[in-house]
Amino acid sequence: MTLLSWTRRSLMAAAGAALVAGGLSGAAYAQTPPGVLIVGQIAEPKSLDPAAVTAVNDFRILVNVYEGLTRYKSGTLEVEPSLATSWDISDDGTEYTFTLRDGVSFHDGTPFDAEAVKFNFDRMLDESHPYHDTGPFPLSFFFGAVESTDVVDAMTVKFTLNAPYAPFLSNLAYPTGLMVSPAAVAANGKEFGRNPVGTGPFKFAEWRSNEAVVVERNDGYWGEAAGTEAVVFRPITDANTRVAEMLAGGIDLMVEVPPTSLGQFGGDEFAVAEQAGPHVWFLILNAKEGPFADKRIRQAANYAINKEAIVNDVLEGTATVAAGPTPPAFAWAYNEALDPYPYDPEKAKALIAEAGMEGADLTFYVTEGGSGMLDPVPMGTAIQADLQAVGLNVKIETYEWNTFLGEVNPGLEGKADMAEMAWMTNDPDTLPYLALRSGAWPDKGGFNSGYYANPKVDELLEAARTATDQAERAELYREMQTIVQEDAPWVFVANWKQNAVTNDRVENFGLEPSFLLHLQGVVKN
Amino acid sequence: MVSYILKRLLSAIPVLLGITIIVFLIMSLIPGDPATAILGSYATPENVEKLNRDLGLDKPMVQRYFIWLGNMLTGDFGRSFSLNRPVIDEVLERFNATLILAGTAFTLCSLLGILAGVVSAARQYGFADKAITFVVLIGISVPSFFLGMMMILLFAVNLRWLPVSGMFAIYGGGDLPDLIRHLTMPALALAAVATGVIARLSRSAMLEVLRQDFIRTARAKGVPERRVIMGHALRAAMVSIIPILGIQAGFVLSGAVYIEIVFQWPGVGRMLVDAILKRDLLLVQGGVVIVAACYVLFNIAVDVAQSLLDPRIKT
Amino acid sequence: MSAFFKLLFRNRLAAMGAVVLSAILLLVLITPILPLNDPDVTATADRFKRPFSEGHLLGTDHLGRDLLSRLLHGTRLSLAIGIAAALIAATIGSAIGIIAGYFGGRTDNIIMRGVDMLMAFPYILLALAIVAALGPGLMNALIAVAAVNVPFFARNIRGITVGLAGREFIDAARLAGMGHSRIILTELLPNVLPVIVIAMSTTVGWMILETAGLSFLGLGSQPPQADLGSMLGEARSAMISHPHTSIVPGIMIFLIVMSINLLGDGVRDALDPRLRSGALSRPRATTLVERVGDTPAATDDLLAIQDLETQFHVGQRVYRAVGGVSLAVKPGECLGVIGESGSGKSVTALSVMGLVASPPGVITGGAVRFQGEDLIGAPYESLRRKRGDRVAYIFQDPLSTLHPLYRIGQQLAEAIKSHHKVSNAEARERAIQLLNDVRIPNAEARVDNYPHEMSGGMRQRIGIAMALANAPDVIIADEPTTALDVTVQAQILTLLDDLRRDRGLAIIFITHDFGVVAQLCDRVAVMYAGRIVEEGPTQVVLDAPAHPYTKRLIACVPELGGGRRELDAIPGLPPVVDDLPAGCAFAPRCDKAQDTCRAGTIALAGPSSRAVRCLYPEEAI
Repeated sequence: MTLLSWTRRSLMAAAGAALVAGGLSGAAYAQTPPGVLIVGQIAEPKSLDPAAVTAVNDFRILVNVYEGLTRYKSGTLEVEPSLATSWDISDDGTEYTFTLRDGVSFHDGTPFDAEAVKFNFDRMLDESHPYHDTGPFPLSFFFGAVESTDVVDAMTVKFTLNAPYAPFLSNLAYPTGLMVSPAAVAANGKEFGRNPVGTGPFKFAEWRSNEAVVVERNDGYWGEAAGTEAVVFRPITDANTRVAEMLAGGIDLMVEVPPTSLGQFGGDEFAVAEQAGPHVWFLILNAKEGPFADKRIRQAANYAINKEAIVNDVLEGTATVAAGPTPPAFAWAYNEALDPYPYDPEKAKALIAEAGMEGADLTFYVTEGGSGMLDPVPMGTAIQADLQAVGLNVKIETYEWNTFLGEVNPGLEGKADMAEMAWMTNDPDTLPYLALRSGAWPDKGGFNSGYYANPKVDELLEAARTATDQAERAELYREMQTIVQEDAPWVFVANWKQNAVTNDRVENFGLEPSFLLHLQGVVKN
Repeated sequence: MVSYILKRLLSAIPVLLGITIIVFLIMSLIPGDPATAILGSYATPENVEKLNRDLGLDKPMVQRYFIWLGNMLTGDFGRSFSLNRPVIDEVLERFNATLILAGTAFTLCSLLGILAGVVSAARQYGFADKAITFVVLIGISVPSFFLGMMMILLFAVNLRWLPVSGMFAIYGGGDLPDLIRHLTMPALALAAVATGVIARLSRSAMLEVLRQDFIRTARAKGVPERRVIMGHALRAAMVSIIPILGIQAGFVLSGAVYIEIVFQWPGVGRMLVDAILKRDLLLVQGGVVIVAACYVLFNIAVDVAQSLLDPRIKT
Repeated sequence: MSAFFKLLFRNRLAAMGAVVLSAILLLVLITPILPLNDPDVTATADRFKRPFSEGHLLGTDHLGRDLLSRLLHGTRLSLAIGIAAALIAATIGSAIGIIAGYFGGRTDNIIMRGVDMLMAFPYILLALAIVAALGPGLMNALIAVAAVNVPFFARNIRGITVGLAGREFIDAARLAGMGHSRIILTELLPNVLPVIVIAMSTTVGWMILETAGLSFLGLGSQPPQADLGSMLGEARSAMISHPHTSIVPGIMIFLIVMSINLLGDGVRDALDPRLRSGALSRPRATTLVERVGDTPAATDDLLAIQDLETQFHVGQRVYRAVGGVSLAVKPGECLGVIGESGSGKSVTALSVMGLVASPPGVITGGAVRFQGEDLIGAPYESLRRKRGDRVAYIFQDPLSTLHPLYRIGQQLAEAIKSHHKVSNAEARERAIQLLNDVRIPNAEARVDNYPHEMSGGMRQRIGIAMALANAPDVIIADEPTTALDVTVQAQILTLLDDLRRDRGLAIIFITHDFGVVAQLCDRVAVMYAGRIVEEGPTQVVLDAPAHPYTKRLIACVPELGGGRRELDAIPGLPPVVDDLPAGCAFAPRCDKAQDTCRAGTIALAGPSSRAVRCLYPEEAI
């Protein structure tokens, strides 16, 4: 019958087409080329202008293209010379004079000198600077203390601060302090972020929107030349897809491996790197009103939540239990004597009974995801279940990250009793100063959304900020940690160990506590 | 015909204007503002206010709307602050990728869907019909992102036949075979649902038509059965299939969002979702207006095709 | 109702859908009383247990929660959400659609422009924006999903309403002074409702998929509450390492959506009145043949129908539409076949070339011989070669029998090109010639017209021209003049008569009108309930009908100039052919019927050219 035959014919044609398509594909999923490292990023960078970006994801590219006056010593969060070879601090802690490294030039051939440094800071801080309109510069407040930047001579530059500010050197090592080429800014204006020029071991080659940012070895680099010819940063926003690319050999290195996928990389062809960093994941508790206004309930929450289970099971060991507000990565400022609140639901129940708060209703803000938030929904769900188990009725409300910040940053009053939060900082000052002082309540422009207030803590933090001696600062921070842990304005949950996976062709790779991704020494076979 | 097209184009103007108002209103009503989105953890009220001023968001809403509309009419869609580049560059670049993906998927689902519907109708209740119905139902009943991820696992990770994601190979790609390799899985995953819908509706449209007297006439004339089905019946069925294609085009375009995320396709859908989450007002507004304009134009094209096909429609 | 279920379950796929869906519904309804684990209690140490592990039939999820329990609770919620969203979208969308379609004009224009705007807005972004604006939660996701589907309902229902709003019953309601709201509620809504219900049933599945999609984008139910979408969304990060956590909700979504779709299709088909008549199936290229018994021997007639039996098989019922009919024509002869509707005359005619719609039609006996060759059961290709070439048809109602989208020239040319290799130009030339033959004025221009651009009479001529295209030996004309007014009818009959005489065609002319038979036919056969009850030369039968039925039929024809004669309608209705009485089928309506008429088979008897199937004929033959 005709009908039958044509049906069959078209089926054959379809099968044929499928075969052709299959043949086209071949088995050509060749490995990535040698000497070129392909990095799976979590998102498309916003810009490659270091003064304009805020995301760790973007910093991972920037630190390979640019350098700052200072940098973090490998494996620590301590500051060491970079483009500045040395510096002097005046006794009152308000004048910093830097001697710059000789013979460094930007990728466009223009020399790096004191004028360039002044240009960088004036562009960010001086609203009348001709290139201030290449902003906005959202993190310029890192250098808010800088009153003026002056060229002393070609290779010497001096910063004058309006008050002593201990984190200044550390902030210079932060990506916001990376040095850009003034000539390139002048040439590209607003488009500088897409045509970056720095002094780093890699120079920018091309940016194919949403496909890749390619950087190549800078052969004129002042230090040791990079180990790879080029690095390609591929934005792959979906974590599953990123894992699949890694498994299929489409990328050589991926960061922020989802905890549940870590098991996939157990074989010999992959290596997993881990590095604890200055990160703390906590719950803000509303100390102003509701059940958490009572310190016993705040402590009860700390006892009730099984943090071991969260870090080992939910996060598959990609984090450790947090003891207090300061992460152990700030080794010099961390109070080793502090032990985390143990998991003790009975004690929690007793405290709740003592306060007469059995069966209290709590609203819990959970975010869908966000910078440093790890796996906020499963974590929030586990926390909810733990609190439920000790007799607190917790209702979760989830928000996507930006709405979440819009709800949490103005304060929890009248809305919620608790909220998830995580911070990654470069200095032990930042988080407590911005989020635990009474002077940092939301109405005063800070992030103390739970309205914690303790005059002693305020005092300690102010003192630590203006002290320039690290040992003295460390002492102050340790005392602060003890008080804050006892007061329990937060539930201290986890300190993240950043992770990354490389395949067996990548050598010499390591993660930094700063969460930055230095690829200079990495070799790919 | 020309005057009909012109008339339809004119009537699209108020629709597009309405869309600009809707998208502008929605973006203004969403809580959270771009400054918070940019500043992240550092969004103190003071920083936010300063940044809003820098971004020109401190003006009243109505004024901002007209500034935006006015600029857009002169071809200036503004600058995206989350991507730090002109909106129009980004949107056109990404829209191009979406058009390749959605266009391929749409062609696939139209051809496969109609073919499946025709075969299924011509062999009603036969084995082919049942097999097609079953396959088509799988297509309709599985979320496309789920299907996409399953395809990645099977064809890219385990079999390594096709690349996992992206539009071109990072090295040594860029030609047509490379594009086809990257396009195969996302286009199939995207086409699956629409293929199912089109197949089912084509099948019932065909069944409806096959019962008509003019089919009997064609058979009585001795027209070969193949021509009866593919000519007489399909042509008449197309009258009800074409509007379905128009609607499905919208679904394919929208559904591309999931597929673009799963396959890391550099398309406009993913860009818009990101832009909404980052409160990148101008990017969302510009992107939606361009996508919507394209959709409206496509629908006009569908109506024109319909009137060319069916002489009974007055133009 | 039981008939509805019978129809529904005859469709095995729909039955499967119904069974699966009921099983799911039942499970979900009894979920609260099942001995399940608490769906929200976490046990992170027991996470990602495989299915069939101790205490967890389907395993556990990423927080060690029991998947079976979450699955059932989640299904409960998802179904509720899907149904609620579909209801909301259907109610609002239909209301908008009905209002736009009913009022029309400016109201319609404004509403539909608004709908266009919403439809042009990528729907996922719209949903995303709505959820972002309203805040989190399953309720808001529900609102978003419902909202984005409103335009689709509005557009769909508007289309149907526009069609209905122009119909007579709405005009009548308006003239009767009914208010707008009353017309909408009592006249329009009941007619639109089935469409709404069916659209809604299929939308439920779509809604569940959509909420799953929103969960994929991170917008959906609030943890720890489980719905299928969020289960899939949460499991996504473990998809590679622990696929069972996504496959479990994935399969459930698949089962629900599939069963809803299958059932929805089944319900639609079962509600469709055409299915009851068996007409919903697509007709095959030729009528199915299941002949039992011997094939009658060949005769020397040009076309001979011999003891033809054609039945319709609908479910368990068998309708004997044609119960052993024999007819024959010679070249140049015109045979009339006359009878009421349902007498089987058209089915007899269509059986000749295997054009009876099948299913449900089946030819179960007899033969049709063209020049001695049996056409029943002939291979498709040999049948096709004769269709339109040797034996051509002219159908009633040319508006529906001509293809509306082809120019008439194309349709004529196609008739020729299906049988002869001719060039396009030649075929067109022939088409114009044919139009001239059937006396269509200005054929050169008319050849490019579409059927809807012509009058009924013109279209009928096209039908005739098409039948003549290949100079066939036999034309079977199935009530070709029924729909036409008297003058046009006369012209067409004259035309046919001329053609028969000029070309030596044999014509089988099917009609219910003795007037037409008298004008055109040499012989006539009267059919009743699938059988011939009387036959003979036209004038003889007309003058002296032997069968009481024939007599009553002739009496029904008003005679021109016959004055105010009483028109005797025949009391009662023709019998239903799936339950024919024994003996004479006309007996129940016949005033002369005796007991003997109701028992045993009555033969068609008489001298060579004249026969009657009656024990007590009106006239002796």
